[in-house]
Amino acid sequence: MARTEELLLNVGPQHPSTHGVFRLIVKLDGEVITHAEPVMGYLHRGTEKLAEELTYTQIIPYTDRMDYVSAMTNNYILCHAVETMMGIEVPERAEYLRVIAMELQRIASHLVWWGTYLLDIGAMSPFLYAFREREMIINLFNELCGARLTYFYMRVGGVKWDAPEGWLDKVRNFIPYMREKLEEYDQLVSGNEIFLSRVKGIGKYDAETAIAYGLSGANLRCTGVKRDLRKDQPYSIYDRFTFDVPVREEGDCYARYLIRMEEMRQSLNILEQALEQMPDDGDIMAKIPRVIRPPEGEAYVGIESPRGEIGCYLISRNKPQPYRLKFRRPSFFNLQILPELLKGESMTNLIAILGGIDIVVGEVDC
Amino acid sequence: MSDVNQESTERLDEQARLEICVRILEEEVSKQAVEHAEINPLSLSMPTLIISKQHWYRCAEVLKNHEQLNLTYLRSMAGADLETHMEVIYHVTCIERNTDYCFKVKTDRDTPSVPSVTSIWPAANWNEREIYDLLGIQFPGHPNLKRIMMPDDWEGHPLRKDYEPLDPEV
Amino acid sequence: MKGIAKGLGVTLKNLTRKKVTYAYPDEPIEMPDRFRGVQHFIPEKCIVCNQCAVVCPTQCISLTGKPNPDPTKKVKLIDTFDINFEICILCDLCTEVCPTEAIVMTHNFELASYSRDELFMDKEWLQANNKKVRKENLVKPSRVKKGVK
Ligand code: SF4
Ligand code: SF4
Repeated sequence: MARTEELLLNVGPQHPSTHGVFRLIVKLDGEVITHAEPVMGYLHRGTEKLAEELTYTQIIPYTDRMDYVSAMTNNYILCHAVETMMGIEVPERAEYLRVIAMELQRIASHLVWWGTYLLDIGAMSPFLYAFREREMIINLFNELCGARLTYFYMRVGGVKWDAPEGWLDKVRNFIPYMREKLEEYDQLVSGNEIFLSRVKGIGKYDAETAIAYGLSGANLRCTGVKRDLRKDQPYSIYDRFTFDVPVREEGDCYARYLIRMEEMRQSLNILEQALEQMPDDGDIMAKIPRVIRPPEGEAYVGIESPRGEIGCYLISRNKPQPYRLKFRRPSFFNLQILPELLKGESMTNLIAILGGIDIVVGEVDC
Repeated sequence: MSDVNQESTERLDEQARLEICVRILEEEVSKQAVEHAEINPLSLSMPTLIISKQHWYRCAEVLKNHEQLNLTYLRSMAGADLETHMEVIYHVTCIERNTDYCFKVKTDRDTPSVPSVTSIWPAANWNEREIYDLLGIQFPGHPNLKRIMMPDDWEGHPLRKDYEPLDPEV
Repeated sequence: MKGIAKGLGVTLKNLTRKKVTYAYPDEPIEMPDRFRGVQHFIPEKCIVCNQCAVVCPTQCISLTGKPNPDPTKKVKLIDTFDINFEICILCDLCTEVCPTEAIVMTHNFELASYSRDELFMDKEWLQANNKKVRKENLVKPSRVKKGVK
């Protein structure tokens, strides 16, 4: 009889497939994982603590750095929380600009996920294709707000810049281009037998588990639970658009993959409608007091970021600085299920499962 | 998505939901369980209940399992140091009915502690660790309550209002 | 194997496409006008109002003023003005509040250096950083009234 010994393996903190500085201690019995313990905090910058001494406008650039793959939705959640508390009515045009920015961001974020996920499980070229298209979105953002990743585009009450000349047309032209590319992606990967054998039936869980762990976004919708805050608790102007919320029943990595692919298409639909409905002219900033001071009290708001529900819980004491600011970060919640999923899996599936959750460590650690 | 019959999917208005929730908790747990209940107009009319600490665990069980509430989804969890006392704030949702509630549990500042609800909502696990790490609130019943964000040998809990950074560089 | 063959078809199609990569750093990259790069500072315009230092979310601006040599004028003159680019996040807030456009954004972004000390920029350096200055600087979101320009 061969004698086996338990092996302790450190994955990370510096490991290319952890997408940031994140460590996983796994106990192995041969190739099989018997126990996994995530260790995080390497990217903890104390955003919530820093925020207690900053004014609301000053906090927005900090939110850019939480989920750096999807800074627009982070900007939005803070502005949305303050606007909700103060009852600020955001001008039409600003709302459309915000939605366009957020949906472009959703596509860009999913592209990063798509590229890096396939890179993780051994396909090199999709990464290059995905970043080619993402580069176009980033260039659009660069023209809109002057930065490629940390946009700081939204402000309490509106947005900083109106669209520059010709920008909306560029977005308009991007939509059919991206549709065509998504077609190409599907041809390239979605039917590939090697890929399918890596993701089908891997990392499976059911709806009850997903709900118990507080998962959101594609991680929740892959189990058949149809929850998308854009539909369920419409914020901004999302109730004006018709789009589908892709749902699948399987609950495995492949389902999550298909959902994210479909979400990109739906985002393109939203973009198309937004460009059509958008007023040609108008304010981009509401009338707000010079010093932003939400009334005494508290509020929680949540929106649908590319990774799931990002929320903001804000306690205000009628001061220019928040008394307590807490972000509900989707990656932090989504990651909690990982040790559960890894139990009994083989080492090679670790990467496929971790990647399938789509985490951004900057957001996990905040 | 599980099918809920027509009657209960109908969205009740917030006031009615609040009253139902208070009634259920008083019937199932204790008359003293709910310390205060109100609608929070600032937070999209969220029904907000303050639950007494010693009844919180039992209340959480009822909230999750009572068929009229079915609050299975822990949406967000936060801790706060309010200088007079500390609070843990839970936002809980029923996915099928798409209804939200906010629950708060107060605890004193010197030895803050709130019963852990990790066994009811597994999502609370890391959140409780985070709150312990940053605010120093103990969660008796938690399987593995240790620091999650700060280094293990860190002194103090940064989000407490009386926190003094030991290292001036930090 | 059908899926793999299909995928290879896509690869073949892409072989003949035009290149999309940049030849950076051999060729400099043009940034759009709104780009937020290292600031340019114009000492003559500065009225030492200190607004930029107050609004900066990372407190990386430090400035001091000196009394105006001309006693009839009340306005102080700038004496020192430093930005610490170790912590500046190029957020645009300082250029947004400056009432006289004494501090403006440029398109320069190449800040890499071998030593942290080199990232501490003084008045003279910032003044000399006058290439590719951004055109639209005094855009305060709350003041913008009309839509498309
Ligand atoms: S760009 Fe932002 S961080 Fe940099 S100096 Fe100006 S206000 Fe400070
Ligand atoms: S805001 Fe402008 S004028 Fe005022 S101190 Fe700063 S640079 Fe000088």
